[in-house]
Amino acid sequence: MPGSASIGRRLGWLSIFSSGTALLTASVALLFFQLQEVKSSQVRRLETIADLIAFNVAPAVDFNDAEAANVMISSLKTRPAVLSAGVIVNDRIFAVYHRPGATTPEVGGRQAPLTGYRFSNDALTVYRPVSSEGRRLGTFFIESDLHEYDQTWRRFALVTGLVAIPALLIALLLSQLPQRRISRPILNLASLAAAVSDRKDYSVRAPSVRSAAEIEQLFGTFNQMLTRIQGQHAEIEDARAMLERRVADRTTELEARTRQLEVQGRELASANRELESFSYSVSHDLRAPLRAIDGFSKALLSDYRTRTLDQRGIHFLERVRAGTQKMSQLIDDMLHLAQVTRRPLERTDADVTAVAKEVAAELARRHPDRTVRWVIEPNLRASADAHLLTIVFENLLGNAWKFTGGKEDALVQVGQTSIDGQPAFFVRDNGAGFNEAYAGKLFGAFQRLHNESEFEGTGIGLATVKRIVTRHGGLIAAQGVEGVGATFCFTLGGAS
Amino acid sequence: MARRVLGRGLMMLIAGLAMAPVCEAIDGAPEYRVKAAFVYKFATYIRWPPPVAGEVNTPFLIGVLGNDPFGSSLNDVVRGQTVRGRGIRIRALHRAEEALACDLVFVSSSEQRNLAQILALLRTAPVLTVGDMDQFAEQGGMVGLVTTPDNHIRFDINSAAIDRAGLRASSQLLHLARIVDEARGEGGHH
Repeated sequence: MPGSASIGRRLGWLSIFSSGTALLTASVALLFFQLQEVKSSQVRRLETIADLIAFNVAPAVDFNDAEAANVMISSLKTRPAVLSAGVIVNDRIFAVYHRPGATTPEVGGRQAPLTGYRFSNDALTVYRPVSSEGRRLGTFFIESDLHEYDQTWRRFALVTGLVAIPALLIALLLSQLPQRRISRPILNLASLAAAVSDRKDYSVRAPSVRSAAEIEQLFGTFNQMLTRIQGQHAEIEDARAMLERRVADRTTELEARTRQLEVQGRELASANRELESFSYSVSHDLRAPLRAIDGFSKALLSDYRTRTLDQRGIHFLERVRAGTQKMSQLIDDMLHLAQVTRRPLERTDADVTAVAKEVAAELARRHPDRTVRWVIEPNLRASADAHLLTIVFENLLGNAWKFTGGKEDALVQVGQTSIDGQPAFFVRDNGAGFNEAYAGKLFGAFQRLHNESEFEGTGIGLATVKRIVTRHGGLIAAQGVEGVGATFCFTLGGAS
Repeated sequence: MARRVLGRGLMMLIAGLAMAPVCEAIDGAPEYRVKAAFVYKFATYIRWPPPVAGEVNTPFLIGVLGNDPFGSSLNDVVRGQTVRGRGIRIRALHRAEEALACDLVFVSSSEQRNLAQILALLRTAPVLTVGDMDQFAEQGGMVGLVTTPDNHIRFDINSAAIDRAGLRASSQLLHLARIVDEARGEGGHH
């Protein structure tokens, strides 16, 4: 508790302050009344003296005996407090006395009241009439110093000082006792609370005390609070333990499931690989017998055409050969598709424009009889596997070339667009197009929307494209109108 | 006595002009004006025996025996005044017997020759005798007025005579007076 005094010291100061204030107030009030009392008693005493002398001096005044009057007034010399006294007759001094050694009192031209008293700075003057038989003869005055008054209040201040300081100390000492009853339990409680807060030990309890009702109540409430905190703490601990158990259970469960999934994944992958290698080996193994059929049917045709085979036989053989060639093409495409799946993806900064132009040039070279207008946007680049990208364009441009076969002014465009905010490429032609109702079937293997007699093909090309795009993490979509043209858009995922 | 005279002179120095009324006593007529005032004032400081029933409201009677030296002074002084509630009347007396009816008698100097006879007549009567002839108190008078050498009016009191008459003088009055004794003709302060 930096900066603030302890409760004991504060209570101490409080008691000093309150008892000091009370003492001071009482002293001041007492002094005030004491002074008033001294004043009035002095006035009374002086009035008594004045009455006596005024009575005694009356005949002397009456019979004009100033000497006798002086002698009478001079009897006041036994009273050292009397500064001066005298009789005034017809505004003149008739008889006068003043204390030896005292300065001559200011008597000349004194405006004397008939009776009463007057306080000046350092003197009290009492006036009394001098009369006989109801005749007013003059005025007697007596002037006393205020020594007693001064002494009273000096003595009072001294006594107050002598009494007040021990009284204050006694008050302080006496107040210590009940104060301890209050401050000590509070200090104990404060240290107990600090201990509880430091050690987080909610099982301790404040001992019962005998003190002020509020403090006893404070202790009771403190203990109740500790009990409640202890209960809540236990509840929280329980809840936490339960939660931990539950989390552990879930974690175990999840781990088991993850392991299971991993196993399943591995199984699935190996099954996939097995299937791929199976189809690859099937395709591969199918080639050899197929080549044999083709080769022998070719030899049969060339060697026996003019000898034993009639037109019908030749026709059958040619049908055999067409079938084997078709099958060979199918096997090639299937191997190609399998190869696309098996190859690992190697992304580079690919020059899309160059790839598209190269594929277009190859197509033009292979079919010099066709005239197709190519519009390929320059400076197209993408992060992609260049080899697979070439396969994508071989298929898409090959399709475009193929389906514009019946058009006089065939046009194939390659450019950049976007799908859902992702950069995308498109290949557009003004060829045969397709019925959009079947667009979902376009990318399945062996799916064809056109009659083979119209446009040759195996139906694997777009499946391959779709697989390549998917492997890149991209999307592919197709739009088409029968007889107007088709557009293929695709993204390549990753950073473009 | 010498001390008293000395004190009186000293007092004169202090009081000075305050004593103006006394100074006026130098001339004849003013002297009797002061004496007239004294006569009246003596009445206020002397206590008479309680009056007989029926005399309660009678006036206080002051007699002047012999030649009246006061003129109108005494009348002027007592006009409107009372003595213990009684009005005052002045009466000129020609015979000593008349004095018996009075409360206070001023014995004029003109009666000096008959003084012993007058005082003998009034010896036990409750009548205050005042005079200003020489040795009035010593000769048996009660209050004798004396003019001091410095022209102040003082008075002697023969307290034995006062006691004999059943009168009582206030101590304040006795204090101011010179007390004289009939036998030796000398006295002192109480």
